[in-house]
Amino acid sequence: MKFNDRSAQSLLTVLVFGAVLLFSGGQVVAEEYDEDTYGPEAPIIFVKPVKAVDFSHKVHTMDAGLECDSCHDDIFEMEAGVAEQNDDFTMKSLYAGKYCGACHDGDMAFASNKRCTFCHIGVKGFERIYGAPAPAAH
Amino acid sequence: MKVKDLEKLENEGVETLPSEERRRFLQFGLSVTGVFLGGTVLSLSSAGNAQGALGGMRPATKFPYSPHYTMVMRQNHCVDCERCKEACQTTNHVPSYGYRTTILEQERPISPDQNERIFMPILCNHCNRPPCVRVCPTSATFKDKETGIVKMIYKRCIGCKTCMAACPYNARYFKEENRAVDKCNFCYDTKLKESGGKTTACSEACPADVRVFGDLTDHTSKAYKLIHAPEKVVWVLRPETGALPNVFYMND
Repeated sequence: MKFNDRSAQSLLTVLVFGAVLLFSGGQVVAEEYDEDTYGPEAPIIFVKPVKAVDFSHKVHTMDAGLECDSCHDDIFEMEAGVAEQNDDFTMKSLYAGKYCGACHDGDMAFASNKRCTFCHIGVKGFERIYGAPAPAAH
Repeated sequence: MKVKDLEKLENEGVETLPSEERRRFLQFGLSVTGVFLGGTVLSLSSAGNAQGALGGMRPATKFPYSPHYTMVMRQNHCVDCERCKEACQTTNHVPSYGYRTTILEQERPISPDQNERIFMPILCNHCNRPPCVRVCPTSATFKDKETGIVKMIYKRCIGCKTCMAACPYNARYFKEENRAVDKCNFCYDTKLKESGGKTTACSEACPADVRVFGDLTDHTSKAYKLIHAPEKVVWVLRPETGALPNVFYMND
């Protein structure tokens, strides 16, 4: 009888310990995303010159460890959408080391003429975010 | 048979074999090696230059049409900006409910926690053996004898939509305005002729040079060179249908 008691006790211990692990220790506590430190959380969606490119501050700052002044205000204006209005906001400029191409040169980060769809989400991606436009009347 | 004798053999293919014989041959191939690939028995023993057994498809020396129009998709450059689709709609008066060309989207897992986005432009493949033409009861759709373009005679179309069901590429739609099925004709009447057979609306509009339109009989054309580039894999969509499509895909 004594033996049975002890095995039941140890089983209980394992269960309790397991539960504790599952609910607390098993989960990595995620760092809170702070917009003041890491920039706006909402993605920046570029639609010029082509629809559409998805830029995430989180991937570049919180995940990759870049500072605000790594890009602002030398490569990109702080205000969203300014670079997009420039005539030279093209892939050709990127290949020449401007804008995203300052880092995406194949050395610091993957080259801007590779992995096109990593950033380009297309019209389909754009419509997933903003909804499809109403079909034209006939 | 000895390897030396095997080397002298030509690959006669499986197309001409009766199905019974083909089945026996397949079974034989599977029992010998466990692998059978498109008319080629892969043997574990070295067969040197046994092209007859290992060659598979030989490069085409002749094309059935002249000019033999084709489109090569440099697929990894497509970013789904859909300028091709817009250009096609304007040039060919395509209504919003249908398409002559469109872009498909795919997610391909590249690691356990990461996917890769792939955009795939599609249009009529202008097949050498077009299933749509075969099923049309009124010959409203036909293969152009000169260019190989699969065309439509709208007034002959009775709208039975059998061609839409037969097409392996979903490249046809019913156009209410015409009361007829409509499809891509490589811009034959809208762009191709006026450009001197050089381009289509979609190809011209593509900012990333994904859609390379060209003539396969012209060995200096970019399309021909891309398809025949060394160390590059070129594929077609749904080859198993035997329709022999003329739109090729590659990552370039």
